[in-house]
Amino acid sequence: MSPAPLEVVLLVFVLACAVGAALLEDVLAAILAFAAYSLGISVLWVFLQAPDVGLTEAAVGAGIMTILFLLAVAKTAREPSGRTLESVRWRSLVLVGAFVGVLALVLPAVPAIGDPAAPVLSYDVTQYYLANSYEETGVTNAVTAVLAAYRGLDTLGEATVVFTAAVAVLVVFDREVLT
Amino acid sequence: MVVDLLLTRYNYAVALVLLGIGLYMLIGNRNLVKKVIGMNIFQTAIFLIFITAAYVEGGNPPLLSGPEPYVSPLPHVLILTAIVVGVSLTAVALALTIRIYAEYGTLDEPVLRRLQR
Amino acid sequence: MSDAGQSRPPEGAAYVESTIIMTTVRLIAPFVITYGLFVMFHGADSPGGGFQGGVIVGAMVVMVGFAFGVAPAREWVKNDVLVAVATTGALTFVAVGLGAQLLGGRFLEYASYEPLYHHASKYLIELVELAIGAIVAAVVVGLYFSLARGHVGSTEEDEA
Repeated sequence: MSPAPLEVVLLVFVLACAVGAALLEDVLAAILAFAAYSLGISVLWVFLQAPDVGLTEAAVGAGIMTILFLLAVAKTAREPSGRTLESVRWRSLVLVGAFVGVLALVLPAVPAIGDPAAPVLSYDVTQYYLANSYEETGVTNAVTAVLAAYRGLDTLGEATVVFTAAVAVLVVFDREVLT
Repeated sequence: MVVDLLLTRYNYAVALVLLGIGLYMLIGNRNLVKKVIGMNIFQTAIFLIFITAAYVEGGNPPLLSGPEPYVSPLPHVLILTAIVVGVSLTAVALALTIRIYAEYGTLDEPVLRRLQR
Repeated sequence: MSDAGQSRPPEGAAYVESTIIMTTVRLIAPFVITYGLFVMFHGADSPGGGFQGGVIVGAMVVMVGFAFGVAPAREWVKNDVLVAVATTGALTFVAVGLGAQLLGGRFLEYASYEPLYHHASKYLIELVELAIGAIVAAVVVGLYFSLARGHVGSTEEDEA
């Protein structure tokens, strides 16, 4: 299944933003490149028919995470040097190239994108959730049914992780109150 | 053969390149805040692999009130959890960065390593 | 270490007053929080849910902090409110799960509430989504204020 032209444009945009975030010298410019990257990724989620994930990525990645990064830069320093792009560290690049090369050997073994016979889709668990979630839980959004009912314990763990992040930030800053 | 591979598995190839970019930012950039950005790019590349695996051609979002061929909802749930855990991780990492700057006065990793000795 | 060559705003000068931002935020903040609650409530039948709605509601308070300065926003949202909202969300989620065990089923089995209330599963899922939204909103606002204050040195007294 070959990609639609809009998808190709989106993927090229996402790659360009990521490379920009890696190579720009100024931290503020890298943060803005990351925000654009996050927005491109959230549009990509909508293309892949995942609106819940796209909504979360837009709100969290392009929204809250960018704000937290900007706060971190405001509380620390932007060290200006004259250059726009920083110099590439060749040893790191060779290491990363080896890593990506080894992982790319897996590429022929993955099923093609959108293949209906892929294991994720023909697996019993997915078919059971899609067939029975309305009778058993009463909601029509299958993602919410799986999130809150079938895998509710994972969601409880995730809410605990969010809560623990606030506590951990208090511990790092040696404080007792949040505001 | 390689072209055919790229044409049918393009999302996975882009995800691998993004993994490489994220890993390069983690080990190759000197600024601590850029390392945290690299960690986030790495995480979103993993999400791309999962969501692409859930996709079926001609599929619709997994809302049972819509038309029939649905994409699989299970990886979507995993990725929802992972995004929120990722923002918690980023917040604690940035808090540590601010504390490190308050203690040492710099965010440059080689300088910090020399100061620690 | 920190000397000339670093651009750093002097303490307290990070807030720049801008009439456009203040007016815009004053106009759209109620709509943002309404949209956040809408997304939270409609998680059961359309894309959305607790996490997305909670982040949007938290973003409203962050917007107010951007427009009017962090110190007035800090006084508007008191610490007790944040802690109360977050712990209420967490305790509600656990209470729903333990209540299912008290009624004879397993932990978080919504079907065991069925004799108490018709279609209990759907309403309990909505309640759980609201609880998750409360936790996420309170934590997002708390993280914003914590990171905005930064690290206060151990020689200064921290006002409560």
